[in-house]
Amino acid sequence: MGIITVLWEKWVEFRRDFYKITVAAMISPLMYLIIFGLGIRTTSHGEPYIHFLVPGLVAMVTMTGSFGAIAQSMSVQRLYEKALDQVMVSPTPLWQFILGQIIGGSLRGLYAACVILVLTIPVRKGLIFNGLSFAVMLLNGAVFATLALVLSFLAKTYSDAPRFNTYIIMPMSFLCNTFFSTEEMPDGFRQIIEILPLSQASGMIRSISGGEAPDAAGFAVLFAWLALLGSISVYFIYRRKNL
Amino acid sequence: MIELKGLKKNFGDFTAVDGLSFTIETGEFFGLLGPNGAGKTTTISMLSTVLLPTAGEIYIDGVRLTRAATEQKRKLAVITQEYSMRQDMTMNEVMEYQGRLYYIPKKQIKEKSRELLEFAGLSDYRRRTVRHLSGGMKRKLMICRALLIEPEILLLDEPTAGMDALSRRRMWNLLRQVNNSNMTVLLTTHYIEEAEALCDRVAMINRGQLQKLDSPKALIRELGEFTVDETGQEGMISTHFKDRDDAIRYLEHAGSDSAMRQTTLEDVFIECAGKRIAER
Repeated sequence: MGIITVLWEKWVEFRRDFYKITVAAMISPLMYLIIFGLGIRTTSHGEPYIHFLVPGLVAMVTMTGSFGAIAQSMSVQRLYEKALDQVMVSPTPLWQFILGQIIGGSLRGLYAACVILVLTIPVRKGLIFNGLSFAVMLLNGAVFATLALVLSFLAKTYSDAPRFNTYIIMPMSFLCNTFFSTEEMPDGFRQIIEILPLSQASGMIRSISGGEAPDAAGFAVLFAWLALLGSISVYFIYRRKNL
Repeated sequence: MIELKGLKKNFGDFTAVDGLSFTIETGEFFGLLGPNGAGKTTTISMLSTVLLPTAGEIYIDGVRLTRAATEQKRKLAVITQEYSMRQDMTMNEVMEYQGRLYYIPKKQIKEKSRELLEFAGLSDYRRRTVRHLSGGMKRKLMICRALLIEPEILLLDEPTAGMDALSRRRMWNLLRQVNNSNMTVLLTTHYIEEAEALCDRVAMINRGQLQKLDSPKALIRELGEFTVDETGQEGMISTHFKDRDDAIRYLEHAGSDSAMRQTTLEDVFIECAGKRIAER
């Protein structure tokens, strides 16, 4: 029941900012598509580079969409509007609040991915996006929505949310299997990058789009991240002394 | 019934609340008075579980209040000093969100919201977002939001701060009405006349510690019901007397700028807070 309340709140937010959310979801992936996919025409593993790029971009927008939806909103609610106080004092179980935020964030990531999938229809002929791809997108979105929750509980000022974006999301966007394969990275660094959730999500969506089965280890890594970050966010909301 | 047992809250080296213990009876209108920085808002924040105590415990009807105590939290509504609402929601949405958080059926949320917003004179602004409301409207909306859930315990942190005199009086009347329905009310304020007008008992706190706790009348009686104000070179000095004749005798020997009056709760507060400041 508490989960439905949070999803309703997210829906109100989405309905109100529908155009802004949609445009924001389109801008940067569209730029990357134009510059790397259409401007600098090249090939990767004998395939058109755009076939490598589109699955990576889809994974990336699930990350940015989910993270942005939660990090910004929660930081503002907690630090500026103090609207989190309303939730804290209410009888809605806080774990349900957390779960609602994760699902809501994940759905926002999925929406952003769908926008990109529609936009890339003319250039992604032959790529497969099926139910399993959407499951990976949802899971990836859930991981980054949970990461956003953890960081928004750690934020000390209103301006911390954009900083998290610069420190975490932007480097992951470029390094984690979006624009080039992690296989090309030097040993040591490669293993670190490969353990990150976006690398796994990109890899799995790319495998599915090429008609291959995704690596089961990818699911394990994403679930492990989700469990870790979910536990931290539940710990914070129940045990952190000063919210 | 609310029980605070040895409640303590530290922020680093700073102790905001220092071992507060008192009980608020069911249906009581209880005031928490103190100068700025006394620990009033911190106490309310611990009661609303936004802050967790460093030490000590809070009990609601005998059950320890924690963030997981959903049954206890169901009884509580808080009106915070700041406008703690989603700024981008309309009034209707703010009310619906509150109702949903407390598991109130949708039909009941709609009916009760309409009734409360009408009562508060906010009906015409139901579709306006919080961001576009005046301070007074936001304050009224927070009260409507709190009353929507028909709480057993209402926590009010400086509810009339920034209100004009007329709005404040209206608010007092409203708070009296809700208290008459056996709702327990905990009010923090630095408007002493507000506490005197509304509260059955008041606790005076300073630097996080309980200084005095009794009914306003008993506190005034303890200090002395008669006060003589003298204006000297050091400013106004007030002397308090338990006996009217003693006060008159004192007044006869005091300067021409002196006057006698009834002691108020504000005198008790100044005596209490002033002593502590002098001790520092």
